[in-house]
Amino acid sequence: MSITVCHLYPDLLNLYGDRGNVISFVQRCRWRGLDVQVREINLDNPVKFEEYDFLFIGGGSDREQSLIAADLGARVDSLRAAVEDGLVVLAICGGYQLLGRFYRTPEGKEIAGLGLLDFYTEAGNRRLIGNVAVEAEIGGRKTILVGFENHGGKTFLNGLKPLGRVLFGNGNNGMDGLEGARYKNVFCSYLHGPLLPKNPVLTDYLIALALQRKGIGTELSPLDDSIEERANKAMVKRLLG
Amino acid sequence: MSLRLILAVLAAKLVMHISRLLGKGRGSSLPGMLALRICPDLLGHFENQPRTATIMVTGTNGKTTTNNMLAGILEREGYQVVANREGANLITGVATAFIRSSSILGRVRCDYAVLEVDEAAFTGVTKWIKPRLVVIINFFRDQLDRYGELDTTIKNVLAAVKQLPDSTVLILNADDPLVARLARESGYHSKFYGVRPVQELSGNVAYSREAKFCPFCGHALEYNIYLYSQLGDYKCTQCDFARPQPDIEAESVTTGVGGTTAFLNDDKNKWQLNLPVRGMHNLYNALAAFTAAYLLGVKPETAVAGLETYTPATGRMESFRYGSKQVVLVLVKNPTGFNQALSGLLTGEVEQDVMIAINDNAADGRDISWLWDVDFEILTRTPEKFKRFICSGQRAEDMALRLKYAGVSPTIIEIENDFSRAVDSALNGESGAVSVLVTYTALWPVEKILSRRAERMKQSVDYSVPSVS
Repeated sequence: MSITVCHLYPDLLNLYGDRGNVISFVQRCRWRGLDVQVREINLDNPVKFEEYDFLFIGGGSDREQSLIAADLGARVDSLRAAVEDGLVVLAICGGYQLLGRFYRTPEGKEIAGLGLLDFYTEAGNRRLIGNVAVEAEIGGRKTILVGFENHGGKTFLNGLKPLGRVLFGNGNNGMDGLEGARYKNVFCSYLHGPLLPKNPVLTDYLIALALQRKGIGTELSPLDDSIEERANKAMVKRLLG
Repeated sequence: MSLRLILAVLAAKLVMHISRLLGKGRGSSLPGMLALRICPDLLGHFENQPRTATIMVTGTNGKTTTNNMLAGILEREGYQVVANREGANLITGVATAFIRSSSILGRVRCDYAVLEVDEAAFTGVTKWIKPRLVVIINFFRDQLDRYGELDTTIKNVLAAVKQLPDSTVLILNADDPLVARLARESGYHSKFYGVRPVQELSGNVAYSREAKFCPFCGHALEYNIYLYSQLGDYKCTQCDFARPQPDIEAESVTTGVGGTTAFLNDDKNKWQLNLPVRGMHNLYNALAAFTAAYLLGVKPETAVAGLETYTPATGRMESFRYGSKQVVLVLVKNPTGFNQALSGLLTGEVEQDVMIAINDNAADGRDISWLWDVDFEILTRTPEKFKRFICSGQRAEDMALRLKYAGVSPTIIEIENDFSRAVDSALNGESGAVSVLVTYTALWPVEKILSRRAERMKQSVDYSVPSVS
């Protein structure tokens, strides 16, 4: 029994070391003796979303985002079905924005998103850049997620559950104190860093959800996370004192 | 002659003098910054003072090396040269370089100004000073939180080039599609340099590649060979965009720990080059400098001789000796440069202790996500070569974490934020050699500590390739 990971558009969406999220997910499975396969899906590659246990989608520059919106738009029904069925998804930055209803340009034009989650993004007048600390509840555990944000768009949730509350930094829009979004087993965030390596509580939760959906026992054996915790704490201490 | 100009030059020279007396850094930006405050159009006064021409070097990796190589060649030919040699490549560093060579009345006597200019500062500097030659060496993903995306950087350089007089000549890296495209996009007269793409040189570090798509038609680029990162022999699958035939091409290349040898070919003649620094990236730097010198009418033999006596500037691969150990200090700024440095580590024959210092100040890039685009995984192919990894600097923990996820055993990873203690730990390890890799703002402090503890070698100590005349 093996866990199958789909890395969507690694050729196009790989800004800011986002592949570190896939590395992190895969290593933490392997260190526990779980078998993992990663398949990279690029433009025009056929993909059956229902075959996967974890899907990762990163961020890209504007030109790349528009290529992808078209490509993914053509297969949105199969992706929606998988999401509704509980597919575990992590979407970062540009990949996050893509899942929403639309992106409003500075001229007021609305570019349609995939509409999988009920939120929208509008162009901001300045980029939100810097280190971020977010308080989140992951699998019933309160934790502080740390990362680095760099985005021009401001995202607003229509009552959708956020990933967490901003303790330091901007998050979704720099206004409402919310960061990221959650829907079923979909997790969205603006945090690079990348997100998963320094936040192993979240990584393990994603692995556990993927196993649960496959109907496998979800007790993950503990790992020695001393370096992970040190890296997380160093940033928490710097930002929050 | 304005009073403002004199005041600005005087003030800057005073600051240079004081910082020299105090031994505080090298003062390569601050004097220029002060002078520009006093006299904002300062650079305009210097524009036409070089008697022959101004040459600018821009791009991502290797600007300082290329610039210093070219300045060295021109000096060897007997010219007086103004250059910003220490890597201070913003408008303030350019101003400092001129002021350092100027009289208090703002007169500079030189034949050439050879200026390294940061990609992001290129627009600002060329507003005041119009170069006759622009050498563009490569574009890699750099500190993104400072520059925005790579596309923007290239567009900005292109826009600035288009503001230059029609007589400007571009010297372009034929092997980097992101650079070569500028010939067609700008319409300026362009000369190309490159490395003959043969299978033996095909690089094994595959990650962090830019330029997957044709800049003209958007279709995929197809590579016959990758030399490193996106440099190689490419062509568009749809339109006629392809690697241009270089005007100066390096062939019969051999690279080793001691250095790099090659023949430089202008289609009529060949010159043998024994470059005393290792790595393909340094061969490209030498090619760029050679091509610029060649176009300026320098005798090719002089250019080659200049390159063969090149000594690296601080941290662009410096060597020290500590007891019987060889210690190498390397600056790493971005994934491509880091991958090059890691390839260098793999060529070592004795077991090493490796110190990596990562800072995240503005000049380093505040976002250190790029560490995840570096191929640390290659280190696990030869675990017997590495005794320990000592992670230091403001982001020591992140570095340690990256190594752990690359597959390095946590038992050989140490975290020591303090530079002094980290250097001591690295030098006093059990292995026979030490490599120290540092980001920009960690370079000076680490170099200072190293030069107190260890003996600085004049030249790359492992240079053993015999000189051929």
